[in-house]
Amino acid sequence: MKITDVICPFCGCLCDDLTVTIENNRVTGVDNGCALAEAKFMHTGRLNNPIIKDGDRFRETGYDDAIGAAADILKDSERPLLFGWSGTQGEAQCSGVHLCELLGGVIDNTSSICHGPSILAIQEVGHPGCTLGQVKNRADLIIYWGCNPVEGHPRHMSRYTNYADGFFLENAFRERKLIVADVRKTESANLADEFIQIKPGGDYAVFSALRAIIRGKGDILPDYVAGVAKSQLERVAKMCLEAKFGAIFFGLGLTMTKNKYKNIRNAIELTDLLCRHTKFTITPMRGHWNVYGSNEVMTWLTGYPYGVDFSRGIAFYNPGETTAIDILAKKECDAMFVVASDPAAHMPKKCAEHMAEIPVIQIDPHINCTTLLSDVQLPVAVTGIETPGTAYRMDGIPLRTKKVIETVYPNDTEIIDKIYKKVLEVQKK
Amino acid sequence: MSELLVKNAFVIDPLNNINGEIMDIAVKDGKIVESVKDTSNTIDAKGNLTLPGGVDSHTHICGTKVNFGRYMSPEDMRAGRGRAQKYMYPVSGYSVPTVYANTYRYSSLGYTTVLEGAMAPLEARHTHEEFSYNTLQDTMANTLFDGNWAVMEAVAENDLKKVAAIVGWTLAAVKGFAVKITNPGGTEMWGWGKDVGCMHTKVDHFGVTAAEITDYLIRANELLNLPHSAHLHNNNLGKPGNYKCTLERMQRTPDLNDKRQTLYMTHVQFHSYGGSKWADFCSKADDVAWMINRKPQIAIDMGQVMFGKTTTMTADGPMEFNLYRLYNNKWSNHDVELETGSGIIPVLYSKKNLVNSIMWSIGLELALMTKNPWQCMLATDNPNGAPFVKYPEVIALLMSSKYRDEEFSTLQKDTEKRVILPSLDREMDWNEIAIMTRAAQAKALGIVDLGKGHLGVGADADIAIYPVKTGDIDPTQEYEKVIEGLSVTTHTIKRGRTVSKDGNCLVFGDNATIWVKPKISENYDISKDPEFIKRFERYYTVNMANYPVEEEYINRNICIETETEL
Amino acid sequence: MIFHMITGRTVKQGEGVEKKLSADYKKETSACRMNPLDMMDLGLNEGNHIKIISDYGEVVMTAVEDKTLTAGMIFIAYGPYCNVITSHDTHGTGMPDYKSTPVRIEETDEDLKTVEELFRGMGGTSL
Repeated sequence: MKITDVICPFCGCLCDDLTVTIENNRVTGVDNGCALAEAKFMHTGRLNNPIIKDGDRFRETGYDDAIGAAADILKDSERPLLFGWSGTQGEAQCSGVHLCELLGGVIDNTSSICHGPSILAIQEVGHPGCTLGQVKNRADLIIYWGCNPVEGHPRHMSRYTNYADGFFLENAFRERKLIVADVRKTESANLADEFIQIKPGGDYAVFSALRAIIRGKGDILPDYVAGVAKSQLERVAKMCLEAKFGAIFFGLGLTMTKNKYKNIRNAIELTDLLCRHTKFTITPMRGHWNVYGSNEVMTWLTGYPYGVDFSRGIAFYNPGETTAIDILAKKECDAMFVVASDPAAHMPKKCAEHMAEIPVIQIDPHINCTTLLSDVQLPVAVTGIETPGTAYRMDGIPLRTKKVIETVYPNDTEIIDKIYKKVLEVQKK
Repeated sequence: MSELLVKNAFVIDPLNNINGEIMDIAVKDGKIVESVKDTSNTIDAKGNLTLPGGVDSHTHICGTKVNFGRYMSPEDMRAGRGRAQKYMYPVSGYSVPTVYANTYRYSSLGYTTVLEGAMAPLEARHTHEEFSYNTLQDTMANTLFDGNWAVMEAVAENDLKKVAAIVGWTLAAVKGFAVKITNPGGTEMWGWGKDVGCMHTKVDHFGVTAAEITDYLIRANELLNLPHSAHLHNNNLGKPGNYKCTLERMQRTPDLNDKRQTLYMTHVQFHSYGGSKWADFCSKADDVAWMINRKPQIAIDMGQVMFGKTTTMTADGPMEFNLYRLYNNKWSNHDVELETGSGIIPVLYSKKNLVNSIMWSIGLELALMTKNPWQCMLATDNPNGAPFVKYPEVIALLMSSKYRDEEFSTLQKDTEKRVILPSLDREMDWNEIAIMTRAAQAKALGIVDLGKGHLGVGADADIAIYPVKTGDIDPTQEYEKVIEGLSVTTHTIKRGRTVSKDGNCLVFGDNATIWVKPKISENYDISKDPEFIKRFERYYTVNMANYPVEEEYINRNICIETETEL
Repeated sequence: MIFHMITGRTVKQGEGVEKKLSADYKKETSACRMNPLDMMDLGLNEGNHIKIISDYGEVVMTAVEDKTLTAGMIFIAYGPYCNVITSHDTHGTGMPDYKSTPVRIEETDEDLKTVEELFRGMGGTSL
């Protein structure tokens, strides 16, 4: 049996044109998806039953027992950290916010170690953006800065940029120009008309240099800025000004390097400047398929997109203080509730070490690094394959991921709601 | 507990011609009835002013651009923060409150039905998700068609029925309520960083003008027999001299409907500017009101500006960019493929600023000079003009020329040369205010038959009781008491259940979303049209199968099926 | 010599996110990609074990050639290996220096730890 128009729950592209082949309630084929999609849809290994840490081993148990154990941990916790959220359905994210508010804890999502700095920049200077279809139909200049779509978002270029059909472009591929800026010559850079190789940490200076040139003050620049020749910068500035519609996409090469959110602020201000001459937009390449969803949900419920601390009875936001890495590194949290992400694998060791010291509850279908540091893990249905749910694409478009196979597993929302009820129960006693 | 009796209510119910009578209101199973047997559940209104629950016909509270406004403005979130109460979650946000904050504050003000001013069809799911947390008011969404490629191509083909087919299919697919048009043609041009001027510039490539787009959508709306009329945010918002655009648009609008207006023009204050540049900027509210007074087919809302900080957010991308160039503060933009756009800028309206002072005057002038209060509704285009929590202040200004004079004397000194407000001594009365804040909206939106905006038998038991004894206050003098009295209800009742009492919300609430599903025959089913399908396959980045909003997003809902001419 | 460590996504690492205890995932996330000239300077061949040392820790990985890197730069796929040597200091931003950690590199005979061993060393549980 083939199911069409399936939405892929892997990266921020949220491609919705997959066709999956189902045989005997298993996905046996994926058409139109990239390698990451195939890996996601066809992977069958999982944690079969809830597990609870018992001495130096895990023992399998039932959901009621695991939910009870989770509730006990949470009710005794003074400062629980609820982390993750980008790999699950929006409905579960809403439940998570309510659970955190009940506990007076801190809720943070993976933005804080991904595009959090982009959000900080947006909070300073705003975000001149658009939906991906605007880029596809109009853009004659595409700029990828500090990201490598060939590896991180494999179908981005064929669905949304250089290789996509465009309503206003006769021969889209030929009419579009591509600029890639990075510290190393990635696969994406190999495809570029203009590859700007920047010394690590030099992006901020390069953005400033481009802005100076566009404002007619190029004379103040030296011959090289962060390893980039002034002549190349002048060429790039010219390409930008001559474009009818330029679209900048940027990634962790800007958020994770020196200057962090200031890099993005500068990129946005460059975009603003170009908007005074022609049409330009800028879009962060969100990594997870529903990380933007966690920002949206947290914002409409609490007012802030990540790093929200409920311990004062209000929603309190202060990245650097209320964000997961800092809370773990300072050993502030005394319990952790992890949903749909793997902080043990992706956080600096000091954070993982603290996770090993505190009780950790994980809600995830798979065994991962966080499992090794958990005290309780409850496996759930995989959203987008075994259970439906809302997701927000990297440009803010909301889609409903589908269920394509049957499962016996409850989904994240059901489990979190049960834990919520159980916590209420045990709190009363 | 399905029966309720509200005793000793001093009722003003314009739709039923009740203008200040003490009466009892009987409620059963969420509806107003003749009488109830069980009087154990009684609220004594003590002679307080009792109105139908407020209806806001244009407010920005839920959806993509509103949420953009929130997360880019943590300073606004902090400014409006509040703690959790028993049935109230913690809140954040001053001019762009979170969904919970909005629903609680609207409830305190006595509002029970709200219309979200703008929803892009492609992003409708987001609006509906937020609606489901706006639990204390019934919700509905204006659906944007101003830059819709399918519509523009059908207009270019002069095919009115096709326009109606597209609008009908889309509204039903995304569970929208009404046809919204924002800067028609302009939002598509903004895809290239351009705009249209007034109504007769042809949109690049599509070759249709703003005037044509609006003309067709107005008529398509009537072909579909929709409860509300087409709802227009005209071109050239904010530009000196734009009153001419407004007048021309009103002139062009036929009278096609005998139950309500044929065109609802929103936040007309922003469209009533004279002069040709900022230096000679002045009010032309008198000309605009003159036209409204002659055109029963036009209804407007004020779009009143109030001083202080707020956030502007509209689908009018190019306008917001120009505002950014004035303010040089942070600016967000979000163009939606094949459909529309949006922009967001935080602003500060200052009394020291001549233009802002004139804008403040214009909104009031429009209301005072429009003879028929049914044609000029009270709104601030929340939050563009001001946060909706300022509605009581706007009401007080309309009711008291003394208050207006006092405020006016604190404005920029040259304002009096550019506006005529000081010469207007009309003072609205309670009945007119009741019309402008609920009855007119219910009529304009076509939801009176649903039971909104009135307290007659059969209506929804949506009732607002204010701590105001109209006999004891002289609103022309005691404007502070008006503001205080209208700011927090003693009881806001929704479907017969008290949801808010003295500013505290008592339940988690359970709102309904109102949407339309025009009945269209097979022949006009646009989803079978090859061109329409091709547009999804090639130019949208979402497949047609994934575009319609699924049932799961609308919880309790009221679907209005309309008989169409298709 | 001080190297500039960049960590980032790769397709193979992405394919392994649900199989983090697998050999493939270990291989991809413990591979330290280096400029061939740098490898020559350090006397390293493809596949040699190296110890990477930062101010925060040290970890054993495998050296792998990558011509796209400039001299002085190394690239490692996201995962538990590079996080052993990444600092937790976010400078008040919430974001660690994932793409800007200075490190030293030495040849070593030591074996690579498995993912499980890395975490067991921190107090984690075995499966």
